[in-house]
Amino acid sequence: MSPNYFSWVKDLTDPSKIYEKPEALDCLRVLDISTGNFAALFCSSILAELGAEVIRIELPGGDISRKMTPEGIIVKDTGLAYIAEGGRNKYHITLNYKSEEGLKILKMLIARSDVLIESFKPSEVIKMGLKYEDLREINERIIYVSYSSTGNFGPKVKDYYDYDLIDQAISTIMSVTGEAEFDPKVPDDYKVPLKIGNWMAWYVGGAWGAYATLLALFYRLHSGKGQYIDVSPAECLLRHSNYYLQYYHESRKLVPRFGPYDPAVFAYTVVRARDGKNVFIAGYSDENWKGLTNLIERPDLFEKYPTPAHRLKIENQIILREEIENWAKNYNSDKIIEMATEYSMDKTKVGTVVTGIVHSPKDSSKLDNWYERGILRWMEDPYYGRMLIQTSSFSWMSETPGRIKWICKPPGADNTYVYTKILCFDAKKLKELREGGVI
Amino acid sequence: MKSFYFSDLSSKPEALENVRVLDLTNVVLGPAASDFLAEFGAEVIKVELPGVGDVMRYVTPWFFYHKNLSPGFEEQNHNKLHVAIDLRKSKGKEIIYRLAKKCDVIIENFRPGTVDSWGIGYKQIREIKPDIIYISLSGFGQWGRNALRVSYDATAQAESGMMYITGFPEREPIKFGAWLLDFAASITGAIAVISALIYKKRTGKGQFIDISQNETGVRWMDWTWVYVGLTGKNRERCGNRDPAILPSGVYKCLDGFIAIVAYRDDEFLGLCKALNLDESYREFVDPLKRHFIVDELDKKLKDFCLNKKVKEVEDIAERYGFVASKVYNSKDFYEDEHFRSRRTVWIYEDHLWEELAEVQAVKMSETPGRIKWTARPLGFDNEFVLTKILGMSLEEIKELEKEGVIGKWSERKGTRPPEDWDKRSGLFF
Repeated sequence: MSPNYFSWVKDLTDPSKIYEKPEALDCLRVLDISTGNFAALFCSSILAELGAEVIRIELPGGDISRKMTPEGIIVKDTGLAYIAEGGRNKYHITLNYKSEEGLKILKMLIARSDVLIESFKPSEVIKMGLKYEDLREINERIIYVSYSSTGNFGPKVKDYYDYDLIDQAISTIMSVTGEAEFDPKVPDDYKVPLKIGNWMAWYVGGAWGAYATLLALFYRLHSGKGQYIDVSPAECLLRHSNYYLQYYHESRKLVPRFGPYDPAVFAYTVVRARDGKNVFIAGYSDENWKGLTNLIERPDLFEKYPTPAHRLKIENQIILREEIENWAKNYNSDKIIEMATEYSMDKTKVGTVVTGIVHSPKDSSKLDNWYERGILRWMEDPYYGRMLIQTSSFSWMSETPGRIKWICKPPGADNTYVYTKILCFDAKKLKELREGGVI
Repeated sequence: MKSFYFSDLSSKPEALENVRVLDLTNVVLGPAASDFLAEFGAEVIKVELPGVGDVMRYVTPWFFYHKNLSPGFEEQNHNKLHVAIDLRKSKGKEIIYRLAKKCDVIIENFRPGTVDSWGIGYKQIREIKPDIIYISLSGFGQWGRNALRVSYDATAQAESGMMYITGFPEREPIKFGAWLLDFAASITGAIAVISALIYKKRTGKGQFIDISQNETGVRWMDWTWVYVGLTGKNRERCGNRDPAILPSGVYKCLDGFIAIVAYRDDEFLGLCKALNLDESYREFVDPLKRHFIVDELDKKLKDFCLNKKVKEVEDIAERYGFVASKVYNSKDFYEDEHFRSRRTVWIYEDHLWEELAEVQAVKMSETPGRIKWTARPLGFDNEFVLTKILGMSLEEIKELEKEGVIGKWSERKGTRPPEDWDKRSGLFF
């Protein structure tokens, strides 16, 4: 390794230079008319981080996504989830698109935009006259992104609003997440499917919607054609759920819920350290298993369980996890990470041992490395105040890094700017619309 | 909405036709990213170590192989061309340079600094291919105090705080049932690549992209950081309740489990009606007040579901206007006619492995993704790639094989064609 690689690559992607660099999508206008759906909001956040002009359209009074918040906590007019994800870099306008006048204005905006993101119930889109087929008439270049739990076509479309929990249930991930069904120490009450803590389905769905949008845009650059994109976050999360469906097709067998174990790799487990924190620890290929047994000074375990065929047996996984935990109990969690990292960097030693401390969010929020690289950042919002937020996953692109320009805005904050700039409405017209309750 | 997607799939174009990707990745974080590109038409050339190959060739539940194919390798390696080149040998590097000149994207996931030390990092490749888009995926990013720390999916689950918030409050945190942050960082990488391709189309410029698994975990933590920053409190585990969308939960029925959400006004009122709750609950139609009554609602829902079948509760939900779905397992999903007809469950006859089922995520009307074939044996496409792209003669290729610069599968299951392979099927050469 050239000794200066790290300083060279840091300079190449230096976060302090982000705002000097161009944006990949500053050619793109996106309308996000989604309602109560953080998959759609994450989708438009990604596009906004990469430079698109995203216009968030809410019904007067604000969207219900502003009320999705823990413990009923509201800052001024908005819940914590929307502050984190809903508003970043987005312009906010209000529009009563359920009125005739409002719908007309919406269609004017659609005619002038590249992407439309919606999350209505499948039947609602049709009722409102906002089907892709309808909008294609106004703007044949439009890229139309539709969010729903089970998609907009097929024999059994579910006509309800899309929620992360429901998506997680459909995606099959819940059927394999949870405490181990086969572990005799787990009480029966806990042998149940389990939700992933964050909005995992909504995040996966949001990412896939953004990915498909960019594919569509890339295609449109040379073909001039728009298209329709049907996103079911449940289907997207299934795509991320390992090989279980393939395995079912080939073997007609199901993978059980396995908690701290794994059907295909062991050791790949979580154990408790001396300080009470849990630690993830792995070494599953023969070479890395050798490394792990060296690290915990138990070469006898390598002798006794030399191949995956030995280690993957459920009864052996239970025994081996206990053995590893017996070792881990002697050390604090950070010491374990230090020892494993030191071992793995040592070229004279066999194998690599991979670890991680199971940090609570509060502990994780104090880790220097997030701030050094800039994925976490304290930012001052002129309206909502000082907030700790996650920045962009695209911060480390050398030419067109993703970025945060502002955190959030109240409903309708950009009415004057957007309606005047795009639709050339003057003060009189805006006053009329306001008084008529359209905006 | 019409099901216009698959009726004429073959006549539809692909978004990434004419995009060529040199894929130097192994395991899941990386291979999944190039897999997402391949699904939409990119020509992905996957490079592995001769005789050994990607470790996922051997990662499979309880040692199960389908005709020598590991499902753990299959799931993130579709539509790719498989070559085996030893990157540590100078002649191997020479082939990489020649391929790089003819590729649009290079993707790698070795430990930061490794490809640089081998002379095939962005610094060296951009000298011979200035507009290359070069993406490095890693655990903690290419620089910073943790750059050299190795990471798997569960490292990122753990360090970000995601694992801590998964599980029941009175129990331990739970590792997810799949390697979700491998896939999360992979789709993030795929998005970055397309945005770079769009920028390149506009300006002619390539770039370097650094994506990290642990930072993807931090990014996907929804309201956690705002909450911790604002309240100074920790975010705790909530079991199957969505703490920001109440009421919500997963309940046991006579024949399985059901997930229920009744959040919007009409959904909440519908649930109240279905549960026969009195008028006093109407004041909780404001979602911001719900946390006061959520424990009692949870108990009522639990009792309500306990003596009913899943389908019964689903029907009641539909009638009263709240949202409920059974918890699907792989079998349920596999057999579901709705998802089958959407080709989310994509069943086809593979040239090598016979009938397979794959999973497809988003549906696009003009440039739909598609599954053409699945993971192939190690080095299976050596001849095809080296003649087609580099114009090598068969003599040259044989010589390289003799020198161990390139190679093929070994005796090990997971690297080989099916036992009954006719030495012809599936070959493009």
